[in-house]
Amino acid sequence: MSKKIRSKPLKVVCIFIIVLPFLSGCWDRIEIEERATVLAIGIDKTEIEEEEEEMVTHLKDDSAKEKYGDYKVTVQIAVPGRLPLGPGTGMGGGGDERPVWILESKGHTMSDAITNLQQEISSRIFLGHLRIIVVSEEVAREGLREIGDYLRRNSEVRRAAWLIVSKEDASKYVKAQPELERVAAIYLLATMDQAVRLGKLPNNFIGTFWSTLSSKGQDPYLPYVELKKEDNIKISGLAYFKNDQMVGATTPIQIGHFMGIMQMNPGGYKVLVTVPDVNETVVFESVQRKSKLRIDIKDGIPHARVQVYIEGDITESSNDYKITTTKVIEQLEDVLPKDANVRYSKLVKETQEAGSDIFGFGEYVRAKHPTYWNTQVKTRERWNELYKEMPVDINVTYNFRRIGMKAR
Amino acid sequence: MEYPRQITVIQATIVIFSSVIGVGVLALPHIVVTMGDTGSPFVTFLGMCIAFIGLAFLTLLGMRFPNDSIVHYSEKLIGKWLASIGSITIISFYAILTALTSREFGEVVITAVLRETPLEVTVIVMLLIASLASRNGITVFTYIHHFYFPFILFPALLIVVLSLKNANILYLQPIFGNTQENMLQGTLTVAALFQGYFIFTLVIPHMRRPERAMIASIFGTLLSGGLYILIVIASLSVFGPEELKVLLWPTLELAKMTSLPGQILERLDAAFLAIWVTAVFTTLLSTYTLTIHLLSKLFRLRDHKMLSFFLLPLVFVLAMLPKNILHMYEVIEIVGRLGLLITVVYPLLLFVIALVRKKRGDVNVKKNKEQTS
Amino acid sequence: MLNQRWKKYEKKETKKLQQTIPNVDLEKHKNDKLSGNLEDTIAFIKKYLGENDDFYIHHFRVFGKFQAAIIFLSSLVDKRTINLEVLKPLMYIPQHLEGKTIEQDQVNEILLNDILYNSQGILEDHLADLIDVLLFGRTVVLIEGINEAITIETLQVDKRSIEQPPTDQVIRGPRDGFIESLQTNLALIRFRLHSPDFRVKITTTGKESKVKVGICYIKGIAHPDLVKEVNDRISAIEIDAVLDVGYLEQLIEDHHFSPFPQIANTERPDKVVAQMLEGRVCILIDGSPFALIVPAVFTQFYQSTEDYSERFLMGTLVRIIRLVALLFALVFTSLYVSIISFNPELIPTDFAVAVAGGRAGVPFPTVIEVLIMEISMEVLREATIRLPQQVGGALSIVGVLVIGQAAVSAGFVSPITVVVIALTTIGSFATPAYNAAIALRMLRFPLVILAGIFGLYGVMVGLILIINHMLSLKSFGVPYMAPIVPGNFEGMKDTLIRAPLWWMPKRPSFFHSDNKTRLSKDSLSKIKEPPSNTLDPMKVGNERWDDTDGISSTNNSDPSDDRHI
Repeated sequence: MSKKIRSKPLKVVCIFIIVLPFLSGCWDRIEIEERATVLAIGIDKTEIEEEEEEMVTHLKDDSAKEKYGDYKVTVQIAVPGRLPLGPGTGMGGGGDERPVWILESKGHTMSDAITNLQQEISSRIFLGHLRIIVVSEEVAREGLREIGDYLRRNSEVRRAAWLIVSKEDASKYVKAQPELERVAAIYLLATMDQAVRLGKLPNNFIGTFWSTLSSKGQDPYLPYVELKKEDNIKISGLAYFKNDQMVGATTPIQIGHFMGIMQMNPGGYKVLVTVPDVNETVVFESVQRKSKLRIDIKDGIPHARVQVYIEGDITESSNDYKITTTKVIEQLEDVLPKDANVRYSKLVKETQEAGSDIFGFGEYVRAKHPTYWNTQVKTRERWNELYKEMPVDINVTYNFRRIGMKAR
Repeated sequence: MEYPRQITVIQATIVIFSSVIGVGVLALPHIVVTMGDTGSPFVTFLGMCIAFIGLAFLTLLGMRFPNDSIVHYSEKLIGKWLASIGSITIISFYAILTALTSREFGEVVITAVLRETPLEVTVIVMLLIASLASRNGITVFTYIHHFYFPFILFPALLIVVLSLKNANILYLQPIFGNTQENMLQGTLTVAALFQGYFIFTLVIPHMRRPERAMIASIFGTLLSGGLYILIVIASLSVFGPEELKVLLWPTLELAKMTSLPGQILERLDAAFLAIWVTAVFTTLLSTYTLTIHLLSKLFRLRDHKMLSFFLLPLVFVLAMLPKNILHMYEVIEIVGRLGLLITVVYPLLLFVIALVRKKRGDVNVKKNKEQTS
Repeated sequence: MLNQRWKKYEKKETKKLQQTIPNVDLEKHKNDKLSGNLEDTIAFIKKYLGENDDFYIHHFRVFGKFQAAIIFLSSLVDKRTINLEVLKPLMYIPQHLEGKTIEQDQVNEILLNDILYNSQGILEDHLADLIDVLLFGRTVVLIEGINEAITIETLQVDKRSIEQPPTDQVIRGPRDGFIESLQTNLALIRFRLHSPDFRVKITTTGKESKVKVGICYIKGIAHPDLVKEVNDRISAIEIDAVLDVGYLEQLIEDHHFSPFPQIANTERPDKVVAQMLEGRVCILIDGSPFALIVPAVFTQFYQSTEDYSERFLMGTLVRIIRLVALLFALVFTSLYVSIISFNPELIPTDFAVAVAGGRAGVPFPTVIEVLIMEISMEVLREATIRLPQQVGGALSIVGVLVIGQAAVSAGFVSPITVVVIALTTIGSFATPAYNAAIALRMLRFPLVILAGIFGLYGVMVGLILIINHMLSLKSFGVPYMAPIVPGNFEGMKDTLIRAPLWWMPKRPSFFHSDNKTRLSKDSLSKIKEPPSNTLDPMKVGNERWDDTDGISSTNNSDPSDDRHI
């Protein structure tokens, strides 16, 4: 029968001693300076020559690689110690040394490229601080699904990272050395964040990209950037996608239109318009946007009606045009929308031609008219077809509230 | 063995709540949406109702036999042999449930946070702390649930509230979903997530006023079901139904997306997971305690303490059985649905039999000490 | 077979334990009484105490006729008292007895009632007890032919003066603390508590030390079962010496292996009185300035009397800060280790890279670095306790700063680690109760190790284990985490916050006392009335306004209004 060990703590200690050797390893402990913190990644298309084959994940003649395209991945790794927090202390050799380290590698898939990269680096690649991923237009036009797959399965990647499409090679962005910030990745990030705060860009990170990619009634969009001289980055529009392939880009001001239709705040675009009948120009800045969307099914086709309300301030007017009374403002409010309606509709037409519903009208139909959706549509491809033909009416209303510090 | 009758109604409610809310929350939106599409909040609500039926009958039985555990009164109702079979089924079901819960949580931790740690270690650690804590009596058991209650409720609510700024109402409509075919399946699976409530049968004999046990059941189910529904709504509105079919642990992703204002801490999922250990711990504690208490009553043992370490290797082996993560989820689904037979149908049958045979427990003998520990 | 062997071993062990009690020799004479023979008695006493050089015998004659001896231990007695109050009156016949013949058998009675100037004289007739009382500082007067001895209380031991207790300092509040003498301590308590319900029971404990133990409680507030339990536990102790009340604590507590103290101790009489008024029992001992307070719950370990002396807002804030410091001290280092080593994605990117830079040259992993620093801090702390006052203060500051700075420059530790460790160490000083602070300091180490193995998950597992342990502790039956668990609303008004005094009219319920209210409803309603503004500049000297029974005045009781109703 049972032999009684007298004290209760003794029993507990015995159990622990037996179990403890199994628990004594620290498997996951990777010190922070042992990690290669990747801050930014740039993905380009490239051709991999025979000699360049790394053979880290596969043998030379393996046919598996044929399925995938070839990518060149450029990473920006933060070097521990060279990013001082406080005002730059004297130690560290002055400002010549770059606080980041740029590396390139090629591979057949994302995973392949990163593995090849890891072969060369001493520390373990850590994607937990990855804030921005730049994809070149070429890659975007081919399709982003593969890249997305790798990034999704990896648990370190945050859904709040930025994914942007660049006009030129993505590697140029990653290698950029801008003046305003010490680290290019932070500069890119700051540009994006600031743009969101200024109301110039929808708050669209990789998470929302994937969500909209999955949903049947909406197509995703990404910020589209261009590199200017002295390594400055300019946001030059939204890249809109059909499924996961890029089919076109808007102009910067069209982002404002887009945000108007989607009711994204705060408003931020300044619009230069000519006042008809007077031939003067006025610049106003949108401060708040509101929109109402209605989709009705008529004759088996959805008809969309969008009502956009924009509140704004007048920031500049040309020499002779004096804004003195309410009447003048009301006049502006009457006249300008006509212009706006045309411009907004132009944006919608562009996306319709490409068959890319970035506004999410499809989701609206799926939600509000489920029977119609279930019978007529059901899939994303069918919706893209329907979207091309869908009539969309846009009506813009302006409300100007303030005219700045000047009295007239 | 223990001073009986100290548990208040509020504490009983909390016990139900924290026994139900556990590791299931992490995968819940994914599981429900795969079957229920945008109608998932409604499906969750239906699942809650079914679970409540089971709990209600259990409570009614407990109120009818305020001094006995289910082992004893099932013997009185349907005879020794049948009841033993029933009790053994319950016990093995809950042992399996403990194993699967710890396995699922171990998988989550290893995939999302501690990538190199072997699975065995995480599972053993969880099972160890559950078995250590289950050596205490029912009163301390209640204290433990009571204490951890705010640690479970507030992070969940916080995540829900913080994620609402990214919400998109369109994703929640149509309310009953675009496809209705799998709704029944979805309802059953959600109901299976409530099965922790069975611990209530151990709690009722120790309540100060067993006649108020029904109030505890109602509020406990409402609280836990409500939290489930809120989480489903939050994930659905942020991610949309299609994305949820792709993401394995949407609640974790929700936590990943939130960040405290001022950007003090970003990427909160590791912190959320750490806090969630308490929720899983309470669930494990309940199921494990249930297993060993019922087992000790079945074999008429004096106390349950020695079983707590004795069963540990067995449960561990059970936890290691599924071959990979997808297999594990399949097993969970099957076991969960079968378990509904035990947790919903069996109490219902017992109650009907009790009504028919007009049997009651000793209502007046409140100081009946031998059978109540 | 194995069982039998075990049983034999058990028997041997218990036998060994029974033979430790000394004084067996004196025990034999327990029931011997005095004979009338002076020389015999003196010889008996000399047998046990004669070897001591502070043992005095003085022969003299009472009233000039009877042979007598006075015996005392000179180190313990007040010689002046003996000379003036014992010897002097014994040698002279008082006026009202002059001329009368005094028989031998009357002598003792006359001495006690008419002659001796001492109020604590007792007649003693057991030989063994004479030895006892001599050791307690009494003087023994033996008279030839009388078979009873007179023992007189003459104890005088030098005591230190009453000063602020060093372990429990407050900014605002009384500054007297207990000293080693039980009498003085009881005096300090009675000084604050003139209630007739306050009871003191004195017993002795310790076979060799035989110190006096005082068990204090307030009858009607403390539950009688509790008092009985305390009594039982103390009388069950059979140990050779109790040198400090801490020995008692260890022998009567419920869970001996827990790191958390289940009995509180204090040096402050006002704290003792407050605790007794809540229903607790207090234990004092001769020879130790600490008092034990029984039962104890966890929440009282971070409370101090200052919280109650100050106004409630201040008290609440300070208490919250203390609680934060306590939690901080426990988990901050482990959180630091787990975030840096396992989950650096939790901290902002700039900061993460900077920390990595700070750690760049350090040879050890974070866990080892933190453990080394922690251990050195603990060593430093222990060292500063033993140092004399002047050196100690300087060393602690110099030690932390200089050594820390030097270690960083040497590349031994990273600067952030030093900051973290310094913060936690300072945080751990915020807990007023030393025993609880030690518990938390100790528990920090396993948490750091767990954090080093499993990261945040490990910290949570460690915290869960600690909390589960605390939840299962009971101090004399009271759950250790009361009033948080089981929830008690009245009690919670005094845990995290310190509710204003008039919001806490009831005593804590977990002591189950019979007398439940401490603040009456009248005073509650008095406080709620608007203030009476006696010296308001506009109307100095005007009479006080009355209650208007719910009908508000025309200016709605605005005291600064000119108009008088």
